[in-house]
Amino acid sequence: MLLPFFEWMEGVAVYGSTIYLGPAVNIVHLCAMVTFLGALMVVDLRLMGTGLTHQPVAVVARDARPWLLGALLMLVLTGVPALMATATLQYANSVFWVKMYLLGLGLLFTFTVRNRVAFAEEGRVGSGTAKFVGLLSILIWLSVAALARLIMMIPANSFEWLVGGSVR
Amino acid sequence: MLLELFRWLEVNLPGGAYLRESTYGFSALLTVHVVSLCIFFGLILMMDLRLVGVGNLRTRAADMSARLLPWQVVGFVIMTVTGVALVWAQPLRYYGKTFFWWKMGLMVLAGVNAGIIHLITTRSATAWDSNAAKFAGAASIVLWTVILALGRLTAYEWYTTEYFLE
Repeated sequence: MLLPFFEWMEGVAVYGSTIYLGPAVNIVHLCAMVTFLGALMVVDLRLMGTGLTHQPVAVVARDARPWLLGALLMLVLTGVPALMATATLQYANSVFWVKMYLLGLGLLFTFTVRNRVAFAEEGRVGSGTAKFVGLLSILIWLSVAALARLIMMIPANSFEWLVGGSVR
Repeated sequence: MLLELFRWLEVNLPGGAYLRESTYGFSALLTVHVVSLCIFFGLILMMDLRLVGVGNLRTRAADMSARLLPWQVVGFVIMTVTGVALVWAQPLRYYGKTFFWWKMGLMVLAGVNAGIIHLITTRSATAWDSNAAKFAGAASIVLWTVILALGRLTAYEWYTTEYFLE
């Protein structure tokens, strides 16, 4: 269903004919990912009861937020051209689709449940709940990063059983 | 002479051939390397931003450093073990990569810089907000960013010489 769209993306030739733009965009994407995960993990570790424990969660989260959002914007700005350059290859790759679904889940979770827990008044959220939310957040986003690395490295049909056919 | 050593490693390291030839071994190592790098550098960066004075300002720099340290160490250990294993699997390939050697050199510098941060800040509690600490924090960000970029660039064929066993 989305194939024509992916074919159109690839036709745009975002990088022109230069061979340096692709790797450069890739490296900026990586730096943005490091910043995003850093800003994410200081809060998640705090939710789990470790790291910056002498501060209320909301204080840590408020400090981390501009870096989290700025890095996310950068991830999108560099991720879209990287996708466009190899769109039809990505479309055919089951690992790419698992990453995208998990990314969607991560965004949804981060800006609903995790936001509410991180910015809740002190004492409003039980420590068990906070720990669970922090751990789940770290697991989801580290998995997104791992899947990103695995695209184009493990066989394209590795997750065909999970996202084959109609799921796309 | 160093080349002879790397040739010898390529032949004699136990498990090296297995990692080189397996479908998932090398991929798994590289993936764990990247994920642990994110944990390490992500938390180093949060600390550095505080040192420089542009982020996480509600937390004291000394707390930022001390309390994130155990997790930075976790990331560093996994990153180092998988990094060594990657070279273990393909010693000759990495020997021929100019970017790999630059990366190793800059990692030594980053280590020295971390030592300097430690020396500056053990002097007094106020040293955390000194210009020297700011500079060391900025140096840490620049060094680790370049190290990350060089690691990524190693994957391409630029500045690469191919070496063979004989």
